[in-house]
Amino acid sequence: MDFKKILLAVDASENAMRAVEYTGSIAGSTKGFQVELFCVERLPHRDTFPDEAAWAESCERTREELKTFMAQAHTRLETLGMARESITDQYLISCTSPFPNETFSCSRGTSVAQDIMEAVRQGGFGTVVVGRRGVSKAEEFLFGSVSNKIIHSAKDVTVWVVS
Amino acid sequence: MSEDVRALVRFYLPNFPVRRVRRLVTDTTDFSSIDYGDVVHLGGQHYMVLRDEAERRFGIEDFKFWVKRCKVLETGESAILKLVFHEEFLQQLGDITIRSYRSPAKEARILEMVKDDRRFMHGFSIVDDQGNLVRVLDVIRGKRFDLAVSEMGENHRDYFDNHFAGALGLFIDACEAIAWLHSRDERHGDIRRDHLWLEPRTGMLRWIDFDYAYDLSANPFALDLAGLGNILAFLVGRQVFRPPDLEEMGILDKAEPGDFNLVFRNRFANLRKAFPYVPEDLNRVLMHFSAGTEVFYETVDEFLADLRPCLDSLPKGG
Repeated sequence: MDFKKILLAVDASENAMRAVEYTGSIAGSTKGFQVELFCVERLPHRDTFPDEAAWAESCERTREELKTFMAQAHTRLETLGMARESITDQYLISCTSPFPNETFSCSRGTSVAQDIMEAVRQGGFGTVVVGRRGVSKAEEFLFGSVSNKIIHSAKDVTVWVVS
Repeated sequence: MSEDVRALVRFYLPNFPVRRVRRLVTDTTDFSSIDYGDVVHLGGQHYMVLRDEAERRFGIEDFKFWVKRCKVLETGESAILKLVFHEEFLQQLGDITIRSYRSPAKEARILEMVKDDRRFMHGFSIVDDQGNLVRVLDVIRGKRFDLAVSEMGENHRDYFDNHFAGALGLFIDACEAIAWLHSRDERHGDIRRDHLWLEPRTGMLRWIDFDYAYDLSANPFALDLAGLGNILAFLVGRQVFRPPDLEEMGILDKAEPGDFNLVFRNRFANLRKAFPYVPEDLNRVLMHFSAGTEVFYETVDEFLADLRPCLDSLPKGG
């Protein structure tokens, strides 16, 4: 595995931006790194809206937010010294979105960690980077912890958890 | 119009006081104004409203103004109409606040999915004149499972030796129903002791009220699992044990922070400390929901894989 081939998993959170900063500070100052920004689309659940229009509007906003974040992360990595051609993007759309799906793969929304590890496997990445929000044990039980799940399931890959 | 309704009620419900008959309702949008004596017309059937349903919580009656107990005029059967109420609220689970939603569409979808499955309440959905998705529910003739359990046995030892294995077997079947729901990407959403009913006619447990929805995408089944863990702790203990109960039993000084529930910090999870005859394997399952746990169940299948074998080590008296 090439540890310089990095999958940097992000959402639109501050923790994700910290992971971007950290990755950029290392990969931007050393030659040979390749970084793929990877975002698993998590849209609000349809059942939490009274009608289709309100749901679609909220999903659109969320998608916009995630894509804006990806663009900002891309720019930030360049600012930290990475060459533009060394940075790629992958946006895994949700299977249950109100928008037409024109891609071959999508996220079922049951495990972001699994989606990330599947992307690591398929892309042959040697390093995976995630931000960590720092949660209580009860919050981890109820809301899950992507970073913990990745730490437990990662095999033959280096994991950077940025908190 | 109201004369027609009166005639209808006189024909089908001759004992109903005609002067109390109010109006024929075809638009249920303003659900709180629909009251005793109103007749709701839906899908060719007429539903005489008798009262608002209520849940007893924390010792007080909590009226659900959008849920109406009715009599179907054409059949004479009882039914429950659940009217559209798009409520969004914050639910407090211990120290954690969760944004929750009431979703008629979700409940209607699950009702359709479980229409041949008696492990769940039955009913169907229908839209009124204004497009409101009304759920028409069968009334379950039975008793809350927790209340039935709390009446079993002379004392805890008697309950545990002579009744618990049977109760746990029923509960395992009910958990399998939830696992089945999860396998279809659905969640119950509001698993509580009072949402599990024992039906004497069939001897089965049935889940009710699945209209709660959440945005918990990272751990989609965790809330249901937390609910199942709470019910299991109740079943093992035949009640919920809080610090004053432990004090009364003289074991409060033995309790450590890790012995309490992970989410509800005042509920005792390590019941083997209170009742040493609770088998270790069963207590281990309880401890997966405790503050001391390092490993959480993520699926009901994982939970059941540990719980099913516990039946073998239980006394089978009674």
